[in-house]
Amino acid sequence: MALYEIKNLKFKYPESETFALDGIDLSVDNGEFLVLCGKSGCGKSTLLRHLKTVLTPHGKRIGEILFSGKPLAEADLRTQTSRIGFVLQNPDNQIVTDKVWHELAFGLESLGIGDAVIRLRVAEMASFFGIQGWYHKSVFELSGGQKQLLNLAAVMTMQPEVLILDEPTSQLDPIAASDFLATIKKINTEIGTTVILSEHRLEEVLREADNVVVMGDGKIIAKDAPAHIGHKLKALKDPMLYAMPTPMRTFLALEESIGESCPVTVREGRDYLARYAGAEGMATEVGYKTNGAGSCHPQRSSDPSPVAVKDVWFRYEKNGEDILRGLTLDVRCGEMFCVVGGNGTGKTTALGVLSGLFKPYRGKVSVLGVDTTKVGSAALFEKGLGVLPQDPQTLFTRSSIRDDLLDMVSHGRHAPSERGFTASPAEVLPEIAELTEITTLLDQHPYDVSGGEQQRAALAKVLLTNPKLLLMDEPTKGMDSFFKRKLAGILRKLRDGGMTVLIVSHDLEFCAQYADRCALFFDGNIVTENAPRAFFSGNSFYTTAANRMSRHIFEEAITAEDVIERCRQAKQR
Amino acid sequence: MRATKLHADAFSGCNPIVNFMYFAFVLGITIFFLHPVLLGISFVSGMVYSIYLNGGKAVKFNLAFLLPLMVAAAVINPAFNHQGVTILTYVRMNPITLESILYGIAAAVMIGSVILWFSCYNAVMTSDKFLYLFGRIIPALSLIISMALRFVPRYKAQIKRITNAQRGIGRDVSSGNVIVRIRSGLSILSILVTWALENAIETADSMKSRGYGLKGRTAYSNFRFDFRDRILVVAMLLFFAGIIASIALHRLSVLYFPAFVINVPDGFVLVAYAEYLIICTLPLMLDIREDLIWRTLRLKIVSSGNKSSNGADV
Repeated sequence: MALYEIKNLKFKYPESETFALDGIDLSVDNGEFLVLCGKSGCGKSTLLRHLKTVLTPHGKRIGEILFSGKPLAEADLRTQTSRIGFVLQNPDNQIVTDKVWHELAFGLESLGIGDAVIRLRVAEMASFFGIQGWYHKSVFELSGGQKQLLNLAAVMTMQPEVLILDEPTSQLDPIAASDFLATIKKINTEIGTTVILSEHRLEEVLREADNVVVMGDGKIIAKDAPAHIGHKLKALKDPMLYAMPTPMRTFLALEESIGESCPVTVREGRDYLARYAGAEGMATEVGYKTNGAGSCHPQRSSDPSPVAVKDVWFRYEKNGEDILRGLTLDVRCGEMFCVVGGNGTGKTTALGVLSGLFKPYRGKVSVLGVDTTKVGSAALFEKGLGVLPQDPQTLFTRSSIRDDLLDMVSHGRHAPSERGFTASPAEVLPEIAELTEITTLLDQHPYDVSGGEQQRAALAKVLLTNPKLLLMDEPTKGMDSFFKRKLAGILRKLRDGGMTVLIVSHDLEFCAQYADRCALFFDGNIVTENAPRAFFSGNSFYTTAANRMSRHIFEEAITAEDVIERCRQAKQR
Repeated sequence: MRATKLHADAFSGCNPIVNFMYFAFVLGITIFFLHPVLLGISFVSGMVYSIYLNGGKAVKFNLAFLLPLMVAAAVINPAFNHQGVTILTYVRMNPITLESILYGIAAAVMIGSVILWFSCYNAVMTSDKFLYLFGRIIPALSLIISMALRFVPRYKAQIKRITNAQRGIGRDVSSGNVIVRIRSGLSILSILVTWALENAIETADSMKSRGYGLKGRTAYSNFRFDFRDRILVVAMLLFFAGIIASIALHRLSVLYFPAFVINVPDGFVLVAYAEYLIICTLPLMLDIREDLIWRTLRLKIVSSGNKSSNGADV
């Protein structure tokens, strides 16, 4: 029997003209693993929130939602609390108490369960999730991934029948995200809990799903098993095709047949490519002409390096651990330089050193020709340094984006004229807004727009200072692939205008596609750096899905586009 | 191995109700009943227990701070209190009586014992135990405190993040004249409030989603009230009742003024003394018992370890 049955659900937010949900028909079976995907703002969250009454937004609603055969609204709060588990996006905001054990017990306390039963349930969950090691810890000591795992465990203690997760991994680094998704899969297969999950990063999650639902503009565009969803999207020419995992995109670009099932995992992709190569009699050592994506930008060697770091050592406390250990880094003028690497390797600390927040105790840091050990961050800013922090919300100080941007132009100590703007503020602002595509959002509160839009508004704010060197910390965090493409386009334009961009990121696919050079950060310094093609094909594990999928056939194919193009080249020959 | 000890000692591992009851009884009798024998028992066991708990630190504290304080208290009383019938000598026309000296010593021992017991209390009753006890009485309060403990450090961290981010776009709070600084300080505060309210919506969703607001909320704690706790509570209640009964029946009594009169130590009284001694040294007995068990266990482990390593050598 279907657990959820949604019949022609339509929903309109108050004072909104358009339907946020426009005729949703969906049924979710018991024990199903359902992945919901779609562009930001397509109504995924709104739909998920309709599946639990306390979280349902206010507005005008038509249609019906049945839970276990009865209208959801008839199930009382107590029933819904225990039977429907909901995990939200931000790991930090969901945690209510200060101790791990207390957080685990929170839901059961609400249900009014006695100590002995709570103790048992909490013990079960802690053991299942492997969190007994931090059971007595304070929640501040946990990493982002641990926090989200705690949120999940805190919901699972109530033994829900269905687990609903709204982009649970968007704020996590890739390793933590795949751990988290593995746990979800474990819950689904070993306990039989129904899972409904919305997600941007489909590479990891799609292979676990029984069914995929693709949404767009409040409607369900397609629903099918992962191996077949691609065909439907292709037939519809839907742009969501672009967000699908690399093996799938490669397959769909090369094959015309409809019936065959799509490769979803890297392994399936490898097998498929091997078969393809065999069928086409493809030589495995097809040479590759470097062109387009990932090519090295012509270096403007006449200018001095905007970032020159030599043998820098840094630690936060005198007796603490060294975070940066002999870091040496050289970023050339007018390039997009990406630093990738795992969590806790010191990437963000390195950015702090570059922006003058932290002073190294050994070594030289020269940013835009200024020695950061000698001057403060104000002087660096004066020279043309702009920093986009990981959390764009920390940049906004006003109640509308327009005010925020105007504040940057007019009231600052650094009027744009000092910084080389020739145009007047009135002209610069629309121009930057146009570039970052936030013109229509200008009158909104910065906290009311979506994550990707916040990121672009924050970028606009930084750009208004007219930086020569832009440092960015995880700019693609929580963004869907469309926003990523937009961002890459913006960054390309800026770079072509002569700006140097230094990005610190976990997002290998993004770096592979758009960087001029990439560097691997590990253990407080840079292990290797190279142009993306050489960089990623030199790595075996820490590389893009496209590279892992095709490395047995092609050399230096690092994006899905590379693989597709080379297959086509080989076929033509 | 853990960096921090979970319990200060065996007694700390008991349920907080047992801990709290214990301190209430001992401190109550110490403060309200200035019986020399009972005070002596209380003082000595308090001293030993505080040294057991706090080690060398306690010895130093007792010698450097507690002893002078007690001497001062003992001296001050006869200097100002001239009641009593047994006059020993006159100091500037003021009689110094035996009774007031005795009373001074009793008061000094009382103050010393109270301080000693409070140092033990601090080591045993950690904040989470305190929270637990009050959570029993007012469940909402313990949740509120727990939430406050979560939010305050979060806000502090966010202020730092905002300050750093603002610095990156040339809004440095730590530079410029006073007005500029106040301006940027206020804008940071304002955005912090917006941030806090915005995020609180999601926290509220998370709470509602986990049933906050349902009737009959319980307050869970990790502390168990097991068989040992029950035995300890019953034993303490019995002994305490025994002492109170002997006081009420005037079998245990003391009078300092006008003359020092103390009860005769008959069998009934000796039992009361023993009861009080057992109460006061209860934690120590638990600790010593546990230490002995550990020692024998370790001996076994060491000897079996030797055996197995010998076996490996062969």
